[in-house]
Amino acid sequence: MDTNSIIEEIKKYIEKNILAEAVSIDADTELKKAGIDSFSTVEIILFIERKFGVAIPDEQLLPENFKTLRSLALTVTRLMNHTA
Amino acid sequence: MATFNKADLPEKIILSGADCFHLVLDKHAKKHGAGGNVMRKVFYFNDKLDFKKVDAILKSSPVIYWLCNIKLNYGTIINTAYWKFTNAGNEIILQEHNMARENEIPESILNRNITIDAKRFIEADLVYYPSGSCAFVLSWNHILLDAKGTTLLFEHLNQLTAKAQQDTGLYFPAKEKKQNIFQHIKNMYKIKSFVQESARPPVSSVASTKVKPGDGKTCTKIISFDACETKKIQDNAIKAGSRFGPTLFFIACCAHAVHSINKQRNKTGDLWLPVPYDGRLKGATGPMISNCVSFLFYRILKTEFESVPQTVKSLSMQMTRQIKDGIPQKYKMFLNMMRHLPLWLYYFLISNTNKGVFASFLYTSTGDNFSNMETLFGKPVKNITMVPALTYPPGLTFVFLHHLETLHINIAYSQEIINNNELALIEENIKATLLANY
Repeated sequence: MDTNSIIEEIKKYIEKNILAEAVSIDADTELKKAGIDSFSTVEIILFIERKFGVAIPDEQLLPENFKTLRSLALTVTRLMNHTA
Repeated sequence: MATFNKADLPEKIILSGADCFHLVLDKHAKKHGAGGNVMRKVFYFNDKLDFKKVDAILKSSPVIYWLCNIKLNYGTIINTAYWKFTNAGNEIILQEHNMARENEIPESILNRNITIDAKRFIEADLVYYPSGSCAFVLSWNHILLDAKGTTLLFEHLNQLTAKAQQDTGLYFPAKEKKQNIFQHIKNMYKIKSFVQESARPPVSSVASTKVKPGDGKTCTKIISFDACETKKIQDNAIKAGSRFGPTLFFIACCAHAVHSINKQRNKTGDLWLPVPYDGRLKGATGPMISNCVSFLFYRILKTEFESVPQTVKSLSMQMTRQIKDGIPQKYKMFLNMMRHLPLWLYYFLISNTNKGVFASFLYTSTGDNFSNMETLFGKPVKNITMVPALTYPPGLTFVFLHHLETLHINIAYSQEIINNNELALIEENIKATLLANY
């Protein structure tokens, strides 16, 4: 799965389950500015675990990895490649 | 100033499950002689605000008008409690206070209770200081607005000041969707056993069952951190393992401060606390009215106080587990079911769980809600503080508030629960843990 497809999957999940209808995000929107808080971040991590079968290790749970959909998807890609 | 059609305001708003929980808290406050379930937000300005301008903006708000013209209809088994819009023509009263000591909020404001039988559920005050600066204080009963709702209210006031177009439909909660009753009942059992297990005795609290606050007075202590210290605290949160934002680090530091008091009193034990969780969709601009919160529940074992990172780790695991199990959503459903109970029975069930100890202490945060609030009524805001409702027991509440680049902690307490030496110990401990080198 490429990074763009991962971005799309995470985006779909966030827009359906976390964000208000009027809020839209793209790959480079700062998630915090869109209203994503700590609890929502945990929800996203749990979704990633379920959807992509990768657990984000503690040392990679860093604000820079959760800043945007792109940084999040790049982290997931790295972990998937590492696991494969 | 913008006008609105009073006839367009909703005639009836049904209380949410969390609103009804506040009805129970109100009963609890009355029984224990505490200061009432009143929240206060204070905005400090360098210059004097124009009374007429502020008064006109407040009076042009349909939400504030609605809050001044409602009456509570208690529920029955068939009908849940609701607010009835009376449209009685009551306007908000903005009071001026000229004799205040610098930066202090007059006792006449702090001691004023707004009960659920009040004529108006929101009150406003302008406090003028000798230096020429001033403070705007808004007080309301917590049953009507939660922390996020309050932020939306102040954004709404700023929109009124700017004469911007607003969507009035977002002020009030939408009609609830019908839920599957069997799903509700199933969830109720699950959440009841979860909370009972989480809050199982013994839980250590700062409150003593023998002491009751006498005069119901809420004392407050504000601890402020400058931009440099605030930056260090944010970095410390990550270093201590609070990787999704500083909340868990803040809770851990408060817990360590409370633990230090318990230690001094030779009363150490597990701590238990419910932490509010905003249930609105993120980025939503409404609803403003009604409590839309659910809770996460944390139990910190007495063996988890060896270090702040150890406590954060325990909190983090509990948070992840609860989000995975959908605890906040299930608890919200539970609260929604409980609102069908008669108030006396609801109160009996709540106060008899864990022998009436609601929590070891209370923690609340405005998150980033006010972090970028630069102006109110068109004037630059120098500082913001929040005086929370003091729930007894436990009689000790920590409020964390970010404004611009700085962090402020408001400790609300009852002097019968926390004496001056203990307050000093809390301050020393919380500063030390927040600013330590991790």
